[in-house]
Amino acid sequence: MTMQVQHGGHVAAASSRGGWMGGEDLAAMVVFGLLAAIPLVTSGYAVYILPQYMLLGLLAMSLVILWGYGGIVSFGQAAFFAIGAYAMGLVMKHAALPINSAYLGILAGVAGAALVSLLIGHFLFSAGVRSTYFVVATLALSIIVEQTVKSFSDITGGWNGLYVDRMTLTLGPLVQLSLFDDMPMYYTVLAVVVPIYVAVAALMRARFGKIVVGIRENEDRMLALGFNVPAYKTLAFGLSGLLAGLAGALYATHASFAHPSNAGVLFSTQVVIWVAIGGRHSLLGAFAGAIVVASLSNYLSSIEAIQEYWPLVQGLVFIAVIVLFRNGLAGVVESLFGKKRHGRAA
Amino acid sequence: METVVSVFADTILITLVLAFAAFGLAIIYGLIGVINMGHGAMLTLGAYFTWWSTQHGVPFVPSVLLSAIAVGAVGLAFEHIIIRHFYNRPFDTLLLTWAFFLVTTEVIKIVFGTDFRNVPSPVDGAIDLEIYRVPAYKTIVGAVSISIIAGTALVFFKTALGIKIRAMIQNREVASLLGLNIAVMYKLVFAFGAFMAGLAGGLIAPMYSIDPYMGNTFLVRSFFVVIIGGVGQLLAGTLFGSFAIGGLETVLALFSDQVIAQIAVFFIAVLILRFRPQGVFTGR
Amino acid sequence: MAALLRTEGLTKHFRGLVAVEDLSFALAKGEVRCVIGPNGSGKTTFISMISGHVEPTAGRIWFKEREITRLSVVRRAQVGIGRKFQTPSVFEGLSALQNLELAGLRLAKPRAERMRASESILETIRLVEQRDTPAQFLSHGQRQWLEIGLLLANEVELLLLDEPTAGMTAEETAATGQLVQHLAADRSLSVIIIEHDINFIRELKAPITILHLGRLLREGSYDEIAEDAQVRQVYLGTTGHA
Repeated sequence: MTMQVQHGGHVAAASSRGGWMGGEDLAAMVVFGLLAAIPLVTSGYAVYILPQYMLLGLLAMSLVILWGYGGIVSFGQAAFFAIGAYAMGLVMKHAALPINSAYLGILAGVAGAALVSLLIGHFLFSAGVRSTYFVVATLALSIIVEQTVKSFSDITGGWNGLYVDRMTLTLGPLVQLSLFDDMPMYYTVLAVVVPIYVAVAALMRARFGKIVVGIRENEDRMLALGFNVPAYKTLAFGLSGLLAGLAGALYATHASFAHPSNAGVLFSTQVVIWVAIGGRHSLLGAFAGAIVVASLSNYLSSIEAIQEYWPLVQGLVFIAVIVLFRNGLAGVVESLFGKKRHGRAA
Repeated sequence: METVVSVFADTILITLVLAFAAFGLAIIYGLIGVINMGHGAMLTLGAYFTWWSTQHGVPFVPSVLLSAIAVGAVGLAFEHIIIRHFYNRPFDTLLLTWAFFLVTTEVIKIVFGTDFRNVPSPVDGAIDLEIYRVPAYKTIVGAVSISIIAGTALVFFKTALGIKIRAMIQNREVASLLGLNIAVMYKLVFAFGAFMAGLAGGLIAPMYSIDPYMGNTFLVRSFFVVIIGGVGQLLAGTLFGSFAIGGLETVLALFSDQVIAQIAVFFIAVLILRFRPQGVFTGR
Repeated sequence: MAALLRTEGLTKHFRGLVAVEDLSFALAKGEVRCVIGPNGSGKTTFISMISGHVEPTAGRIWFKEREITRLSVVRRAQVGIGRKFQTPSVFEGLSALQNLELAGLRLAKPRAERMRASESILETIRLVEQRDTPAQFLSHGQRQWLEIGLLLANEVELLLLDEPTAGMTAEETAATGQLVQHLAADRSLSVIIIEHDINFIRELKAPITILHLGRLLREGSYDEIAEDAQVRQVYLGTTGHA
């Protein structure tokens, strides 16, 4: 397989799954190809709802950077998602024209989330706060954000959330792309998600990703080799916060509102479950896992008989994944198709 | 003057209640190093079992005790089936205990429904001290709390069993060479921590309305209690940590509403976590 | 010749226990030194204070003429101090080559150069055939070499080796001795070795520093040390010839 040879015997450390980089690229083409094709063969609900799931997939990818590659468990991704969503909502609400405010909203969401995550990351990692304590801090962060958006109801709409307009994007002085319709919205989201996937995947295969994995594998050794471990952890946290914020900002404009349920521990937990099931070491796996589980949840929750039990099933599957299928669906797929693996790590 | 006394009394009571709620977590984390993210769920379970038991005519105190035993049993089962295989992997135990929370909460929702439940307080009214009237039941819970915590500390530091457990914690290898059964000790500690959580949940039940997530408000606060107080400092740490968190909450709630107070407390707790991660009390 | 590493009055007390007391030490560039002593004599604590893992209670340390007493572990590694731990600390899930490549990443060299350096180090540490073997499947001795390889990939100038031959076969031990001599002679690296293996120390023909109860007892060549009455007292409990 040509892509295999390209990476050859030099197996990228960033992927803790041996010579499968070629395979993952192929799988990515399949997944994104399918997604691109869907609006061409069908219309209706699928085309409407999939952009939301793709953005949840983006949120899941943000956790993969932190957890799968960095080994840092976080129950705080929802906090950044919510920051993105509310930033978008507030900008859209208060801006003069509904046109360029879309870009401003996205920028605000991304910048806000990135800023908060970099500050918190630096604050905690530079002091060498233990990873286990860090988890508790992220838990607290989710609660703080959730309570904040519920409390300041004058600004945030409190329990009811914030209504957010659908965006209209300007591309150049003459072109206006209204995202009120399903198709343009669908392809706009896809056009954001795919390049981000490609870029992040490349980043994690490059120097940055290898160092982050090294920190996960043996932090003390990395310190003793002179790597600025706190800085890398902070950057990883910042990047994951940034992506989560972006996902939130776009999600708000698609779903038409920002809501306290976008924050909080339950939603953060949901992200962890998606990533665990999809495959914590795989950007694509987590992306697909989020889409699959979210759409499954949506579908099943409309069936009376099952609706009550679905969260329970998810919890049990989660246990199964941690105990048995450590690399989630991606791991299962890989062992069916994949080559001999070098360097599998926790 | 009255305000000062009331703040003082409130703080003491909140401290003791929080200490009791956090104690199970302190035991498990402090002695066997497992971050029990299911601690809140164990509290909730204790509350629900107590409710169910009182609904069926069992008097309050036996209900609470039975609930605690039941939660201890659930904890023991979970330890035996799943957790004991992962003691050398702290992140996995963290996630698995979180999964315990998810599964338990869902089961509670299915079995008991999501409506708010109420356990009537067995002791109503207030105790009239000259300067202040304290809520009677809360005071009793506070008294029970300090007795149990002090009593457990006593057992831990002064009895043969306590010494064995401490030996096991300090050096597993040597302890097992001395014939102490490590696996059994771990089970004992885990089950006891769960029992404590269930007991706290049952006793606290009359003070709050019971819903499937009630224990979770205590989860993060319990973590902060343990981290601030110092992991492994069962007596001084738990009490001091509870005082710090509870006291801070009470004082801040005077100036703003409950929610903002909680946010501020979490914020400050994270600050403390960063600047003094080993806790206030260190060493034995 | 100016000393590469110098300590003055280095002291460490742990809660009433004296681990190291008033240790003044100097090491030149390209010099190999064996640090030996009975258990509890402070050898590992001494090394830990040089690498930055333990903060001295008193005393000062200079590296390349620059005081490093307050520098962090990370900064010391960046200025050229590399430590091999008593229990080999490598990246278990990565192959030998990947291990070296990772260690070399800090230096921000172009990929081709880094690959060449990694291959060259593989040869030096005798792991060419194990280049694709995950570290967890290497023998104990090979892991020790790999760890030394990590330090070479990181281009350190001072190697702190804590019991490198522990668990090695006689053949591996001999090879390690040759490796150390090569690193000092051909690459001008300075090496401090904590060791218990008397044969290894004798074959190495390097100067020896003996610690006892945290203090410097004697310094000298192997022959000088072997004849010293005080040393015999400490090690063997006798003053006569063995």
